[in-house]
Amino acid sequence: MKLISLASLFKSRLGLVGLSLAILSLLAACKGEERSNPVYRIGYMNCNTEPETIARFGPLTAYLSEKTGLKFEAVTVNTEDFEERFNQGEFAFTHTNSLLYVILKERSGLKLLASEKRGQFGARSAGTIIARKDSGITTLADLKGKRLVFGPFMAPTGFVAQYDLLLRAGVDPEKDLAYYAVPPGSYKHEKVLYGLLYGQYDAAAAPALDLEVMTREGKIAADDFVVLAQSVIIPYCTFGVGKDVDSKVVDKVRKALAELTPESTAEFAGERVKVLKAAWVDGFEELLDSDFDPLREMAKRAKMPPYEEY
Amino acid sequence: MNWRDKHLWLVVITGFLAGVLGVLLAVWGNPENSGICVSCFMETSAGALGLHNNERMEYLRPELLGFVLGAFASAALLREFKSRGGSAPLARVFAGVLLIVGCAVFIGCPIKLVLRLAAGDLTVITGLLGLVAGVGLGLRGLAHGLQLGRTQQDPSGSGWLVPGLFFLLLVFYFVRPGFLLQSPYGGAAQHAPGLVALGVGLLLGFLAQRSRFCITGGVRDSFLFGLRAPLLWGVIAFVGGALLVSLLTGRFQPGFYGQPGAHTDLLWSGLGMLLVGWISALIGGCPFRQLVKSGEGDSDAGLVVIGMLLGGGIVQSWGIAATSSGVSLAGKVAVLSGLMLVVVATLFLREEA
Amino acid sequence: MLTRGLFDKLLWLALLVLAAALVLVVVRAAGSSESAGSKVLDKAMERAMTYQSRVALIRELYGPVETLLQAGQDQSALLKLAEIEKTYPGEAHGQILKGSIQARLGAIDEAVASYATGVKLRGDYVDKENPLSRRTEIGRVVESGLQTVSARLAANPDNRTAQATMKQLYYLQSRLAGGCE
Repeated sequence: MKLISLASLFKSRLGLVGLSLAILSLLAACKGEERSNPVYRIGYMNCNTEPETIARFGPLTAYLSEKTGLKFEAVTVNTEDFEERFNQGEFAFTHTNSLLYVILKERSGLKLLASEKRGQFGARSAGTIIARKDSGITTLADLKGKRLVFGPFMAPTGFVAQYDLLLRAGVDPEKDLAYYAVPPGSYKHEKVLYGLLYGQYDAAAAPALDLEVMTREGKIAADDFVVLAQSVIIPYCTFGVGKDVDSKVVDKVRKALAELTPESTAEFAGERVKVLKAAWVDGFEELLDSDFDPLREMAKRAKMPPYEEY
Repeated sequence: MNWRDKHLWLVVITGFLAGVLGVLLAVWGNPENSGICVSCFMETSAGALGLHNNERMEYLRPELLGFVLGAFASAALLREFKSRGGSAPLARVFAGVLLIVGCAVFIGCPIKLVLRLAAGDLTVITGLLGLVAGVGLGLRGLAHGLQLGRTQQDPSGSGWLVPGLFFLLLVFYFVRPGFLLQSPYGGAAQHAPGLVALGVGLLLGFLAQRSRFCITGGVRDSFLFGLRAPLLWGVIAFVGGALLVSLLTGRFQPGFYGQPGAHTDLLWSGLGMLLVGWISALIGGCPFRQLVKSGEGDSDAGLVVIGMLLGGGIVQSWGIAATSSGVSLAGKVAVLSGLMLVVVATLFLREEA
Repeated sequence: MLTRGLFDKLLWLALLVLAAALVLVVVRAAGSSESAGSKVLDKAMERAMTYQSRVALIRELYGPVETLLQAGQDQSALLKLAEIEKTYPGEAHGQILKGSIQARLGAIDEAVASYATGVKLRGDYVDKENPLSRRTEIGRVVESGLQTVSARLAANPDNRTAQATMKQLYYLQSRLAGGCE
């Protein structure tokens, strides 16, 4: 029996054609497998740091894979990059704050999937403007000439709602305040509250949810602050899905999210983890797109994206 | 059907009056759709005597006392009082407990089932089906030789004990000793004026003793005799009377949701009443009929009554009783366990042919 | 030798003596302060006092929340409730107050859930005559909730949130309708 070496095969024209066909068919098989078992990527907006985002939402992503039988992967995304990376098709599912949902909905046709429940308003929260109780500040009008600290620029209940509240009360943040600031780096909402508590600012724009969480954790006391104004409640963090994703897949994910209970677990990083607890979430709720209209109105009045005017 | 039969008319009048007064008692102050509810009354009376700790379910219901003492008066006056018993005494105590378990999971006894239906509460449909099926299964078991033991004349006079106990409770009702509890709030705080309630109880107890009126008995007899069964006509008159007064007093609110003292766990409503129907067929009558029989000297029924009083305490203390929010795990376990016991009894307590 | 006849006579005599003793004991006790002082007879009064103490404790505990609510400080009141909840978790009154604030701030689903939790914990809040009753307020929320949520559900029949809220609305409606529980 004669053994044919690879070199001699290459030398033979027929052999070359045969090898090419074999490689092509192998590639086609791989491609077909990917098509039949695709990987769905979920872009999670970074609240603070990437490791924190993965620690929070890794178990949730694993749960979705386990529950739906589909493969999901978590991708961490910075707020300012979110729209661009979504439009480049880097991920099909999104987990963002409600303002980013509105932006992606208006500009890229993102569809609503489910909204995160946490705290006393469930899937919603409100923006508050607070001052220290001993500051003597009791109304929004008292803030003229004072120092105010906002949360992150794109935060619906840390910036947009309060900006709108001030405008509607006749206080233009750009002109009437001594100055306003946005804390740098991560953990901005906490920095806002501590900045106010330790006298760096006269007033602060705080999400009602953060006030509640920090009160429960004993970091602040209800008696430390006075709430000068509060917005209507608007949706909080939200899952969205690209318009091209198969509706059967969307339904599976929506159902899996709705069925999450505090006892639901998933395998993550070698251990069984409670999904909701890891994600700091109470559950998921199915809001309607019209539930986001109050936020849209706020963004329009504050000339914020996607309704910005220059 | 012999329409000239006096007994038939006595049954019909009793049923009609029970329906009318059952709704009127709610108009006069009893909880909605609970003008008459033997199981609810047992639970509140057990609470009044300190047998459970639900502070909202404590009231010694005078209707309950009236049913027994009215039947006693009737039986005594017309020389029908006979002390009898001796048929599976301990089993009957358990049967009494399980009757209340089934009722508590459904929220109401067979009489309340009809009152709820007459008020438009459509959630009782599965309960009704369960009750009918239960009676049917019970009859089938009896037909296949299930025998709890024969009731005999009782020279010891133990048939006097339950009427005596209820007379003592009547004294308590009027004297109000300090240990007798009464809820200031909640379902048990809602009640018709005491003397009115007692009067209604005495009247219905008296008439029910004369007529043998019984809801499950009506169902049973309709299985056995069809439309010829007087008790069936009594039940029909009961439904008619209750429906008429519900309509006249504006209490007829047909619907499935938001009904007073009702839940929508339909499967468990059905199973609860299945248990009640099944046991009632085996022991010869629904909870109301057991009270009446105990008043006429039947110490077997008296033991069922004692079991029901005990059950009234247990279903509240152990969280078995259902609420408008649904049936608890304890309730589900209790009903299934009860049904298992009945199945076992039906299998093993057979008299060989 | 104790004959049967003599024994029976003695028994009848004993019965008479016992009956007389019973009457005497009851009559004497009724005429003296002994019955009022007995432990067992204080049970109903003890129960009433415990209830009044509970009402007083609740009023004291949640007093600051009520004060904030009267001043229109809904969010501060919610924060105060969160603080109290740390010490008294699962207290029904906190749930009812929370429901009241949530309803005012437009969080209907959450308000209904809070009211339902509170009423399940203690039925006092739907009683007609009870110092803790919030029947009118809960009734109002249920009435408006049944309209808005059922409309939402009709437009989106698969919406699980609306389905869950409807279930709780029906529960509250049932409790408000009365019944024996």
